[in-house]
Amino acid sequence: MSSSRTENLAAAHGGKAPMVAIAGGALLMLSGLLSWSYDDRILDDISVRFFPIGIQIYSMVLGLVAVGLGVLLMRRPAWMDPGKGLRILGMASVVFVLGTLLAIAKQAGGIVNANEGLYVALAGAVLAAAAGYLSPEVHIDVRKWPRLNSNVEILIIVVLMALLLFTLAYTLNIEDGAVFGVFLVAVIGIVGGLLGSGLGAYFGFIGGNNRRPLMLAAFLVAFLFPFTQNGSDENMSIATQILVFAATALGLNIVVGLAGLLDLGYIAFLGTGAYVAAMMSTSAFATIGWKPPFLVVMLIGACTAAVFGLIIGSPTLRVSGDYLAIVTLGFGEIFRLAMFNLDGNNGPDLTNGPNGIPAIPDLVFFGFDFGEVHSIAGIPLGRFSNYYFLLLALIAFVILVFTRLNDSRIGRGWVAIREDERAAEAMGVNTFGLKILAFAVGAFLAGLAGTIKAHVDTSVSPDQYIFLESAFLLAAVVLGGMGTVLGVLVGATILKLLPEKLREVNDYRLLMFGLLLVVMMRFRPEGLIASKRRQLEFHEDDEELNELLQAEHLQEAK
Amino acid sequence: MDQFAQQLVNGLTLGSLYALIAVGYTVVYGIVQLINFAHGEIFMIGAFGALSTWLIFFEGETALWTLPIMLVGAIAASVTTAVLMERIAYRPLRNAPRLAPLITAIGISIFLQEAVRLGFNDPTLFLSNWNPLDFPSAKQKVPFPQIDVVTGQAFTLGGVTIQRSALFTIGCLVMCAAGLWYFVNRTKTGRGMQAVSQDPDTARLMGINVDRIIMVAFAVGATLAAVAGVAQGLQVTNINFKMGFLAGLKAFTAAVLGGIGNVWGAVVGGLTLGIVEAMAVQFIPGTFGGSPWKDVWAFALLIIVLVFRPQGLLGAKVVDRA
Repeated sequence: MSSSRTENLAAAHGGKAPMVAIAGGALLMLSGLLSWSYDDRILDDISVRFFPIGIQIYSMVLGLVAVGLGVLLMRRPAWMDPGKGLRILGMASVVFVLGTLLAIAKQAGGIVNANEGLYVALAGAVLAAAAGYLSPEVHIDVRKWPRLNSNVEILIIVVLMALLLFTLAYTLNIEDGAVFGVFLVAVIGIVGGLLGSGLGAYFGFIGGNNRRPLMLAAFLVAFLFPFTQNGSDENMSIATQILVFAATALGLNIVVGLAGLLDLGYIAFLGTGAYVAAMMSTSAFATIGWKPPFLVVMLIGACTAAVFGLIIGSPTLRVSGDYLAIVTLGFGEIFRLAMFNLDGNNGPDLTNGPNGIPAIPDLVFFGFDFGEVHSIAGIPLGRFSNYYFLLLALIAFVILVFTRLNDSRIGRGWVAIREDERAAEAMGVNTFGLKILAFAVGAFLAGLAGTIKAHVDTSVSPDQYIFLESAFLLAAVVLGGMGTVLGVLVGATILKLLPEKLREVNDYRLLMFGLLLVVMMRFRPEGLIASKRRQLEFHEDDEELNELLQAEHLQEAK
Repeated sequence: MDQFAQQLVNGLTLGSLYALIAVGYTVVYGIVQLINFAHGEIFMIGAFGALSTWLIFFEGETALWTLPIMLVGAIAASVTTAVLMERIAYRPLRNAPRLAPLITAIGISIFLQEAVRLGFNDPTLFLSNWNPLDFPSAKQKVPFPQIDVVTGQAFTLGGVTIQRSALFTIGCLVMCAAGLWYFVNRTKTGRGMQAVSQDPDTARLMGINVDRIIMVAFAVGATLAAVAGVAQGLQVTNINFKMGFLAGLKAFTAAVLGGIGNVWGAVVGGLTLGIVEAMAVQFIPGTFGGSPWKDVWAFALLIIVLVFRPQGLLGAKVVDRA
């Protein structure tokens, strides 16, 4: 058995792990000062010595964290497991260095172009990983979490959020796809290394203690983001896309994540909202003569979507599981085909058929034109920034609805249905009413997002609302973590941001997406950021997880 | 009357295709209670497998004797894909919550579509140094080879036009159904399949290799899908990497219509769905008839059946389909 062999190894050489980690970290840090490639035209010029730039800096930070974890390994606090962190950090570092090697080989034409710095970094990365596998398995004791003054805890949150803002702005400004890729791996290594060693659960605990400051800080960060872009609309347009997508995915999360009902036609609700907004807009191609103010349109769009939600939800009385998934898929396809065909030839003219409704004008709220550049404190904010703020308000509303429902009697009813519908029914939960409600609320939120999306995109057409988009939404929920807000936000960001930045591999985008779904279901079905309850559902016989959860509950109750 | 007979023939042709694919859904579902969502892609890969065989060995040849070899190529491609899929993706998830295999299936479906698209655009991507002859790009529709006797001049019978490829499709269905009947009822493996579908645990105790049976079920489904892929290619004369999605959905509708898990149900359901679609195009009055709406009627039928008679036409009453 390989696991017992690792254990033996750890027992025999565990004492050396801290030293190995520090040595690996030192090598990684040193590599930043060395030249990585002979070719100075690639990857932002990493051929210069003693002047670290880009990839070299990432390598140095990785090394710094490795050294830190090595020191922690020597004097291990009871609530931490630096060995696990080192395993993640080390493996990510190896991938990071090999990825760089690949990029050099591809762009400069051959491995010969790699220089000494890269090999030093590779040695360091391997050492760091080895240290992780050498360090013995430990049992984290969450009861030993340090209790800090609540002001200090809030300070930690603020610092973390500021770091997040800085990283986000930095990430979006990386132009080179290859650099972006290895940067991402480095971030996974650094963040994964730190959080994996026990800080993740601890930060979660601090966040749980200070929910309000956490939410406030998060929104402040999101609010400040456009001010870091210097009026450039390029990244803001990606950001608006992410927000629309995330808001819709959060709506789907109510249906799939909380109530456990699989919906494969969810994009139809977003489409309903978008089509309603387009048909009632002042576009020359709008098909309905009535032009109410946008707030009214929003309500009509959301309510229409909610009515569709009720209709689509009604079969849940009789079907569930896979069958429900197929029924919703059928509804989604019917929506798309109907939008495609309602062009005046094959039915009433509502949607202009395959051409859709183009030239939807920008919104104007009380004299505030969303299409114009506005300046705040000397920083110009373009069209997409304006929509970004509007969408931020929308997503705040969606999160509010989600969390309030989740923490209420209704939310507990949904979770009960998800875990065992018959038991829930026997305990007096109104299963049908709650399932229908999940569909209606989810559809309402998606409809809201759709009405704004129509104006952001300036056009609607049937090919925006295909099955693949529903699959993407579902993937955002599944990938991020079903039933959690943060998870879905992370999932949505990953799924929308990666294809924008990794243009080199754009042709393989869907191939990798499909593969990702398969691998994810195989190895981490609960998602990146798992709701603990959900995690337990997938790993029922995991005693350790069970104990950890109970200890955490105890700690939180104190 | 002629119009009705014509639509009946059209519907039967369409329905035979649906039935061939639907059997794959049903056989797998009957044994592992898993809706193999990626089955439509197996059908698509069958069509592309046949095309590749033809391009590699006898490009330009139209003689009838190439057809069996194309069929062998199609079946080889489909069965390999299906068995690998079962082994790599589904088997580790056999005891996972039901959401997991379904999402996996969606992932596989997208992956296979893209793999075919990319592979046909640039075959050196997967097989380096392999000289790809002159492969057409899979971005658009790819023309499917025309084979003597099977394609070609349609003939008329009492005012009804019948394509030769339609006869081929119906013939395939009849032969496959007969072969399947023999396999399931007269061979040891077939009876093993029956046993596993009734009670996998007891079957295992009786010395049946359940893993092998499941693999055989996937292979049988893939074989029929491959035949359907060739039939489709001959009928509409071009194929494309997206054709599996809609066909898979229709076939699933057919399987549910007949009662999922029931092989004869899949055949009956497929034929019924085909006829309903053909009739809807012709006989639904007003602007909602006609071919643009035919898929809508198929999906509407799917929803109605799932909601009101989830056990299907021939299926036994099942208490819970969760």
